[in-house]
Amino acid sequence: MIQEPRVGVFICHCGHNIAAKVDVKQVADYAKTLPNVIVSHHYVFMCSTVGQELIREEIKKHNLNRVVVAACSPSMHEPTFRTAIESAGLNKYLLEMANIREHCSWAHSDKEAATEKAKDLVRMAVAKASLLEPLEEEEFPVSPTVLVLGGGVAGMRAAIDLAEWGFNVYLVEKNPTLGGRAALTGWLTNNRRGADVVNNLINKIVDNKNIHVFTNAELVEFSGFPGNFKAKIKVNPRFVNEKCILCGECEIECPIEVSNEYQYGLSRRKAIFFPFKAAYPPIYVIDQRVCIKCGECVKACQYGAINLAEQSLTLDLNVGAIVIATGYDPYHPPKGEYAYGLHNNIITLFQLERLLDEDGPTQGKLIIGGAVPKRIAFILCVGSRNTTPSSKNYCSRMCCTSTLINAIKIKEKYPDIDVYVLYQDINTYGNDETLYEQAGEKLVKFIKFEKPPTVDISPEGIVIDVYETTIQEEISIPVDALVLSVGMVPRRDQNELIATTRASCGEDGFIREVHLKLNPVEAPTHGIFLAGAVTGPKNIIESIRAGSAAASKVATLLSEGKVRTEPFTANVNEERCSGCRICVGLCPYKAISLREINDRMVAYVERALCMGCGTCSAACPSGAMQQYGFKDIQIMAQVVAATGGGIK
Amino acid sequence: MSTNNYEPRIVVFACNWCSYAAIDLAGTSRKLYPPNVRVIRVMCSGRVDPQFVLEAFKNGADGVIVAGCRPPSDCHYINGNIKALRRFTLFKRLLEELGIEKERFRLEWISAAEADKWVRVVNEMLEELRRLGPLKAEAVSV
Amino acid sequence: MSKPVLVIGGGISGIQATIDLAKHGVEVYLVERNPSIGGKMAQLDKTFPTLDCASCILTPKMAEVLRYNNIKLLTYSEVQEVKGNVGDFTVKILRKPRYVDWDKCTGCGTCTERCPVKVPDEYNVKLGQRKAIYIEYPQAVPRKALIDYSHCLRLNPPPDLKEKAKGKPLCGACEKVCPTKAIDYNQQPEIIELNVAAIILATGLELYDASNIPEYGYGKYQNVYTNLEFERIVSSTGPTNGNIIRRSDGKPPKRIAWIQCVGSRDVRFNHYCSAFCCMAATKQAILAKELLPEVDTTIYYMDMRAFGKGFYEFYKRAMTEFGVKYVRGKVVKITERQDNKNLLLFYEDTIHSYMKKDEFDMVVLSVAVRPNRITAAPVKTDKGGFIQIMDPYMDTVTSTTEGIFVIGGAAEARDIPDSVTMASSAAIKASTIAKKCVVEQTIITSGERA
Ligand SMILES: Cc1cc2nc3c(=O)[nH]c(=O)nc-3n(C[C@H](O)[C@H](O)[C@H](O)COP(=O)(O)OP(=O)(O)OC[C@H]3O[C@@H](n4cnc5c(N)ncnc54)[C@H](O)[C@@H]3O)c2cc1C
Ligand code: SF4
Ligand code: SF4
Ligand code: FES
Repeated sequence: MIQEPRVGVFICHCGHNIAAKVDVKQVADYAKTLPNVIVSHHYVFMCSTVGQELIREEIKKHNLNRVVVAACSPSMHEPTFRTAIESAGLNKYLLEMANIREHCSWAHSDKEAATEKAKDLVRMAVAKASLLEPLEEEEFPVSPTVLVLGGGVAGMRAAIDLAEWGFNVYLVEKNPTLGGRAALTGWLTNNRRGADVVNNLINKIVDNKNIHVFTNAELVEFSGFPGNFKAKIKVNPRFVNEKCILCGECEIECPIEVSNEYQYGLSRRKAIFFPFKAAYPPIYVIDQRVCIKCGECVKACQYGAINLAEQSLTLDLNVGAIVIATGYDPYHPPKGEYAYGLHNNIITLFQLERLLDEDGPTQGKLIIGGAVPKRIAFILCVGSRNTTPSSKNYCSRMCCTSTLINAIKIKEKYPDIDVYVLYQDINTYGNDETLYEQAGEKLVKFIKFEKPPTVDISPEGIVIDVYETTIQEEISIPVDALVLSVGMVPRRDQNELIATTRASCGEDGFIREVHLKLNPVEAPTHGIFLAGAVTGPKNIIESIRAGSAAASKVATLLSEGKVRTEPFTANVNEERCSGCRICVGLCPYKAISLREINDRMVAYVERALCMGCGTCSAACPSGAMQQYGFKDIQIMAQVVAATGGGIK
Repeated sequence: MSTNNYEPRIVVFACNWCSYAAIDLAGTSRKLYPPNVRVIRVMCSGRVDPQFVLEAFKNGADGVIVAGCRPPSDCHYINGNIKALRRFTLFKRLLEELGIEKERFRLEWISAAEADKWVRVVNEMLEELRRLGPLKAEAVSV
Repeated sequence: MSKPVLVIGGGISGIQATIDLAKHGVEVYLVERNPSIGGKMAQLDKTFPTLDCASCILTPKMAEVLRYNNIKLLTYSEVQEVKGNVGDFTVKILRKPRYVDWDKCTGCGTCTERCPVKVPDEYNVKLGQRKAIYIEYPQAVPRKALIDYSHCLRLNPPPDLKEKAKGKPLCGACEKVCPTKAIDYNQQPEIIELNVAAIILATGLELYDASNIPEYGYGKYQNVYTNLEFERIVSSTGPTNGNIIRRSDGKPPKRIAWIQCVGSRDVRFNHYCSAFCCMAATKQAILAKELLPEVDTTIYYMDMRAFGKGFYEFYKRAMTEFGVKYVRGKVVKITERQDNKNLLLFYEDTIHSYMKKDEFDMVVLSVAVRPNRITAAPVKTDKGGFIQIMDPYMDTVTSTTEGIFVIGGAAEARDIPDSVTMASSAAIKASTIAKKCVVEQTIITSGERA
């Protein structure tokens, strides 16, 4: 298959940059003596149009099938010369560069030694070039369809941006409604609530015919490769259909009552219920975990909207990419942590937000334990920053600002309430610093603690003991209500997600991105994108931005209508492969699996997933796994040439 | 070969993303170092098969450097550098069993900005190799 | 073909937005006022919280910009005028003369070696020197030489020399040595007029002038540095080759202090928090410890804002693994010792509630950042001068003008992860607009002499 190598060597002077320290003529003459070399030239600027033309002409004239350019670093001009040889009809990977500038003329002062080194570098390049093979970047057509997992703000934003760009989007949400946790977040600013943001996004989704929403649905299987994933979606029965007009008669009749998770347990709901005012789709739902199928609701519904026999259904989708936007869980303090669970007036920040929300159980009135408290305190970093034994080792990013927004809101509505904020550091970064200023102006009392405070329940109520650093004394603060500003933790069901999608998690337990700084919305596996708090704590604005960013990354993958593989991927020689599985575990991109060929299990590389690191190839004990462009024999040839290769 | 004009030869495997870039930067910044090194570019330090290193010694290299991105997280392929680290930690023991002095082999983490570190590593290794003298032939005749 | 998008500012935000747009199949113009793209990140040594080196991760992105045919890079250029509406903006761009023909220049640097004029080097925050003809920095993109008009003997000779030369042209050293004959002393400014569908503002940040803060003596005391200066001196590509040495005597310091919130969170200067300096100082203290294991490092802070992914862990590591000390307190003033140029810090320790004094031989100020001003774009700014986002909850990166987006440091003090996230968000929105606008004519006039 491989033709007899006919190598042309082209040596660049780079003005004086190379020529001053390397005797280019001598190197060119030497190159002619090397095996397989047909011609060798030196020229003042190989990268110039004249230089490139010289290469093209010589390829044609001498029927060259390999090219070595000895010039600057490949990081500078490898693409240039690849294009040049390609335009002369050669496969662009039949090029090898010898870096005689950065690695030689610029780094050494002795001309004789530099010339000798340049000869060696050319010899190494010729040795490798002689063994190069034409490489193809395979192209696959892609499905212009995207699966967005999670219908919170990040997922909804991603879906909208993708749909507006022109993709077909399946938005799959586990809960019976879109909205996620932002829908339950009360005040975000003076005059805006989480529900307003969610409504705005839902309206855009309803208006967009490219978005197909599945609530009460989950991803159960996921396979394939970028551009062509297969996803199996299970849509759980809702038992109520579009005929529902939200009259609520069913709810009155339903005998089952449970704690309402959409009010963080502050109120109760029935087994048939409607999650919240802005919930979408606007249809009641039956919680199948608690429903006893008594049929009371069916009787109550005048519209025949309820069908208790509804079955789940599964959908098989072919999607080009997936955006995981499944969010987080609030930290749940164990009983007794800051006396949580020991007194009704000790609540979490999430619950407080429900109380202050007009759509909440108290219609926005701050009623805790039946009365408006006179003194209320917040403790920050609950569950975060290692403050207690069960706390996480990270900062939850949004709790300081949320606390201050709520503290300010309380002061606005009830100026007479004493509000205390007990904190370690106030993290109102960037422009949110104004919240800190405002809270100060509204006379919120800030108390810095070094050691976490202790909370005691006495017959009189709740007492917080804390060492106050300004006065350097232990003080006791009796309060009527205590809010624990709990942080964010990975979702309880995250392991299922990891098992189905090949995503992985980092030390903090959140889903890991490829690169924390430059690729914050991409998972290590190509074609899997991440948005919102699934990768770690974020506020609503940041989550929405991440949603858009994930949409952008999806578009970078799918916009062309096809995906191209890396050229330097790994490839298995099936005859040689012993099926030992060593490579399978090593591949950082999970590109390798075993498959059966002629009754034998052998390794298989999903080329579209391989990023071309070559780790598998280095580890393969039988030499079956080889990396294109960096095959064992190619590198070995360089090694032999580098060490003198007998020509010493 | 007499030891006075003994010029050690060092074969270097450098990953494309950090170490190769650092060696480029050394050149671009005109940081001079002795010309005894020959660099072979691989995509990742995780690509380097210990066999390559043995082959280099067999063919007359006096020293070998494998250079990659700084652990834990600089590797362009998530954690190829960690795999190299594991692989070559074992390999060093094997070298000693073969009678190849451990100073002849180095696994180095050189980030794309660390041109100075590259220069230092080359100089240090050369000094070691000059002290050790040429590699004994019997060590690699296996 | 769809209409192009204009990105103004080639820092990490602008670069990321440009690459995303190019991959979306949209034509992009990236305009940068400096000779090279890269922005602030190119001046950083390592980056928190992973400590990976800034150039390792940035340079490949910069090089990527050159790889796409649909990216038109205009560096050393400034946008002078923006008119029109979403889908149809007309912009005027001034391309400043470089006096080097960039089609011919190979970036070999021969000219810079010969040029006799030394000028303080902006890339190294004037801690080092460059020539009048220079390449901004070794990894510059594009890696091309340019002449700084104001310092060039040929183009702008000092009056006394000019008189002596009696009309004969001076110097010309670069022209003589350039192997590709790229020097063009007659190059003229160019005005390029474009019609674009959308604009992304990524003009980024600059440091607040620390000498405005009288109590810390910046500019007066030699061994007081800004955090950006420190970033250059720890960098192995910087003016000291990565050796931390004092301005006063060239000796390595034994005790370094960082002072946080210098000019930020301060009603006298800037209200807002600069968001990344807590972590930047933590990073710098770690880098100092890595280079000088014996050095004593103390960070004086008001609140330790370790809020991002991996930040708190990083802060804890600095304390436990590297022994960086943190003192919560406000430094009230610094004085300099006459004999050894050491610095005396007077501060209030707010955890132990007392006033204290301590001596250091180097002080690094974590100076507030400010947005770079861009006057040509029809957008509103907030009271800190940052470009205002219309409604961060509803349309997270749209400025007060539809079709003009704002990302990164131009919108708010932001670290790199947040900046690139914003960049991608703006890219999808801009390319959605661009795809809907079919182009008639992109470049209206080009090459017109100003
Ligand atoms: C000392 C210091 C240390 C830091 N350390 C870290 C760190 O470790 N990790 C981290 O995540 N972040 C760090 N940061 C923050 C980081 O630098 C910024 O988040 C990031 O650079 C912002 O990128 P940007 O592209 O928005 O802005 P910039 O990097 O400021 O880029 C803006 C670009 O726009 C150009 N420009 C400006 N005006 C115009 C105009 N009118 N026309 C054309 N072009 C224009 C500028 O020349 C510049 O190239 C640090 C910052 C400082 C100051
Ligand atoms: S080369 Fe790397 S990415 Fe490709 S299959 Fe092998 S281990 Fe996986
Ligand atoms: S000498 Fe000429 S080619 Fe070289 S950098 Fe200077 S202008 Fe460019
Ligand atoms: S890419 Fe440099 S070590 Fe993996």
